[in-house]
Amino acid sequence: MVQKDGPKPIAAVVGAGRTKFGELWYDNPEKLLVEAGLECIESVDKGMSRKDIEACFFGSFLYQHTNKRGLIPGYMAQELGLNIPITMTEAACASGGAAVYNAVLAVKSGKFDTVIAGGFEKMSDRVDKIMDDLMFAADPHEFDAGFTFPGLYAVMMSRYLYDYGKGDEQCLDALAIVASKNHHHAMGNPYAQYRREFNVDAVKRSALVADPIRLLHCSPISDGAASLIITSPEKAREMTDTPVYIYASQQATDNVALSTRVNLTGVKATRLAMGAALDQAGMNISEIPVAEVHDCFTIEEVMYMEDSGFYKTGEAWKGIFDSYKDYEGLRHIPYVNKKAEVIVNPGGGLKADGHPVGATGVRQVFEVYRQLRGEAGDCQVESDGDLNSALCHNIGGTGGICTVHIFGRDA
Amino acid sequence: MSEPITRRKIIVDYRINATVCQDCGTIYFPPKSFCYNEGRASRMEDLDFFYKKGALYSGTVINTPSNKFKDLGAHISGIFEFPDHGFKIPGRITDYIPPEDSVDLSSLVGKEVVPRFRRNYSGSEDGLVHYSSLNFSFGDEYYPHQEYVKIEPSKEVEKPGIVGYGVYLPKYRIKNEGRGVLGVTERTLPFADEDTTTFSVEAGKRALIHAALDSTYVTKCFVGTESPTYAVKPIMATVAQALELGEKFEHGYFSGGIDSQFACKAATDLYVDAAALVNYPAFEGEHVMVIGSDNSQAAPGDPLDYTVGAGAAAFIFGRRDVIATLDHYLAYTSDTPDFYRREGEKYPRHGGRFTGTPAYYKHVLTATKAMLKKSELAPEDINYVIFHSPNASFPQRAALQAGFTREQIAPALTVAKIGNLYSGSCPAALGAVLDISEPGDKILMTAYGSGAGSDSYVFTVTDKIVEKKERTVPVQEQIDSPHKEYVDYVFYRKMKDIN
Repeated sequence: MVQKDGPKPIAAVVGAGRTKFGELWYDNPEKLLVEAGLECIESVDKGMSRKDIEACFFGSFLYQHTNKRGLIPGYMAQELGLNIPITMTEAACASGGAAVYNAVLAVKSGKFDTVIAGGFEKMSDRVDKIMDDLMFAADPHEFDAGFTFPGLYAVMMSRYLYDYGKGDEQCLDALAIVASKNHHHAMGNPYAQYRREFNVDAVKRSALVADPIRLLHCSPISDGAASLIITSPEKAREMTDTPVYIYASQQATDNVALSTRVNLTGVKATRLAMGAALDQAGMNISEIPVAEVHDCFTIEEVMYMEDSGFYKTGEAWKGIFDSYKDYEGLRHIPYVNKKAEVIVNPGGGLKADGHPVGATGVRQVFEVYRQLRGEAGDCQVESDGDLNSALCHNIGGTGGICTVHIFGRDA
Repeated sequence: MSEPITRRKIIVDYRINATVCQDCGTIYFPPKSFCYNEGRASRMEDLDFFYKKGALYSGTVINTPSNKFKDLGAHISGIFEFPDHGFKIPGRITDYIPPEDSVDLSSLVGKEVVPRFRRNYSGSEDGLVHYSSLNFSFGDEYYPHQEYVKIEPSKEVEKPGIVGYGVYLPKYRIKNEGRGVLGVTERTLPFADEDTTTFSVEAGKRALIHAALDSTYVTKCFVGTESPTYAVKPIMATVAQALELGEKFEHGYFSGGIDSQFACKAATDLYVDAAALVNYPAFEGEHVMVIGSDNSQAAPGDPLDYTVGAGAAAFIFGRRDVIATLDHYLAYTSDTPDFYRREGEKYPRHGGRFTGTPAYYKHVLTATKAMLKKSELAPEDINYVIFHSPNASFPQRAALQAGFTREQIAPALTVAKIGNLYSGSCPAALGAVLDISEPGDKILMTAYGSGAGSDSYVFTVTDKIVEKKERTVPVQEQIDSPHKEYVDYVFYRKMKDIN
């Protein structure tokens, strides 16, 4: 829980909107972004006008490539109908998280009071070419080596199984549990691409995509957009009585090429950004009750539960396996360690909610925003007391970039 | 990928070039000109892993490849490490078709691997073919690791001849059922990432290892082929870059050469030119490499489609540490249209039975008989005779007609198990014969190229062959390898057509 006498908020979220995620064949990317943008403006409790937006930060991974366009801020000015400063961030799957990071930075700097942060992707526009396109986020030598994006995480999973699983079937079960759990969480999420349960056996029996990664270990190919209104903590009270404050905003980077990393069973950028964010918020990982953790592939959620410090290195699979045993009847299945429990990806995460790459980092904030305000409907995390803090963790590529944001309700 | 990007990648990828900081030991791949620990004052040294062995650090079977790797199908990609240097690179396992079920990838971790010069993927939007050595085969499989030890050539100058050779036969084979087709019972074929260029580099690599010769001493290279990778762009340049032929200067090399074409004798007819060059005072160098390489083409269903093979053989000619002197040469030529392919046509055409008596036999026998006369040798003075082998029947019949015995030609009949290598046919057979030769042996070789002509040689094996023998990868070993893999006609046809 965020301490009242601890660090002060650096910014606040006062509005959030998103589209449904899925294969949205008839929508162009601009339409999705406008839809999410309008929804977030309209969601501000005490109302706001489009003209109150002073700057725009948004993320997209493939828009320039898919649509063969440059000067994207100009196109976005046309969509917004505003001639304000607009910045696009491209950081692969963390494009959205990086947009939020830049928006917070802009507000914290004092340059702007109120900005809009968004993210979108239209992956279905590339249909059969998307496997190749996703490799833009990889080292060129990895592409030349015949890797696909699932393949890169597969060598990480393969090494994790070798170093820590050591042939234990429960490790493979844990990697399937992540998928099964996140699909279960998505059942109450009306925006989710897949509101469908998959049991552990179904995940373990699904088709091999990049051995040992199977189809149901992967997040889907998705279209969608999400958007936020971010403002200063002072201004936030004028716009709503229940802002969600941002206590930490951190970003860290690492080499893109996996072969240059010391090991493949964790991501340094996560450790750096997570450590810095927890320090900034004056918190311990065990104090976080709800977390959006980047789960593009299930091995990621497992590794990041270790990189975050929630589980010890090499032991997340055991913790996840043990946590899953007694979940019958629960809406959400928490991960449990000796000191605490945390609900990870309450709306289904990338795995089931969907993963329109540039939108994901923003969508994560949308999710915790409604969770902390108690507006998550059938996805609402049940809590003994008030749910008061949450974390968003967004990864680009195989860990070339990571953003971590920590949120709280109390100022 | 653009041409300039491709050129920059070639400099790095052909030999797995890296740099190491001499102060802190940090290795950079791709190479950096300075170390981020030491800054601009760094003392960087070049590293080259072309001849090194590595190990699989972690792998995955890519069951759903990206579009550029569709031809390859399911394959293992992985992170590989060079344990002696403590650095890792991404790469792909080649010459391996994963089973459809899940693979026990943990059992492959730490397994020794050998870098191979292969295509990254066949074809691309830019029309370029991209190669690298970031492809590996398992060290305990078909392609074992060989140390490249450089021995300074002796000071003694001898009669010119062969100083080293290397034969490369691909791992995959297809069987001709029953007694075979004209004596050909099985044949080699390229894997999805192989072509005439990769065969040439692999054969040249083996020749350098066999000769124990510093590649900077090889300043001329000829590549004879009738299945060139490009209609216009020399294989020789790729070979020179990959094998570092000649002194290095600004990522280029002081060596020359050309690709040559004369059907199946595109390489052999240049042996005499190679031997002559090393004797020529104005030639800046003492060694010439001649490679015969082909992914032999034949139209589907054509009788040739049941005899063609794939592979290459490289020979290095010089005047020091010669293992077989080149004693005699002559050639016989006539304009005989027995086999041909126009620009833009995919497969060669031929004159059926016309390719026999008036073409093959006339030229081979005329040249051989003239050679015996010129060299004042009788058939019984020759230990081994080698004739171009479009199949196993033609060379045997020609040998008997020229006065030789079945025993004299038997070791050269590699065609029965590897197929017709076109430009590599006589060269591969010469390699097989040298594998078993003793000092003093005399070898008569008559090549044949449609169109048409024959060149005939007499070689005498020297004492030097003995000390170099342990560095060969014998042709018979490649033919009999327990790791060779048989494929069906559908797979064979696919491999032939994507290369």
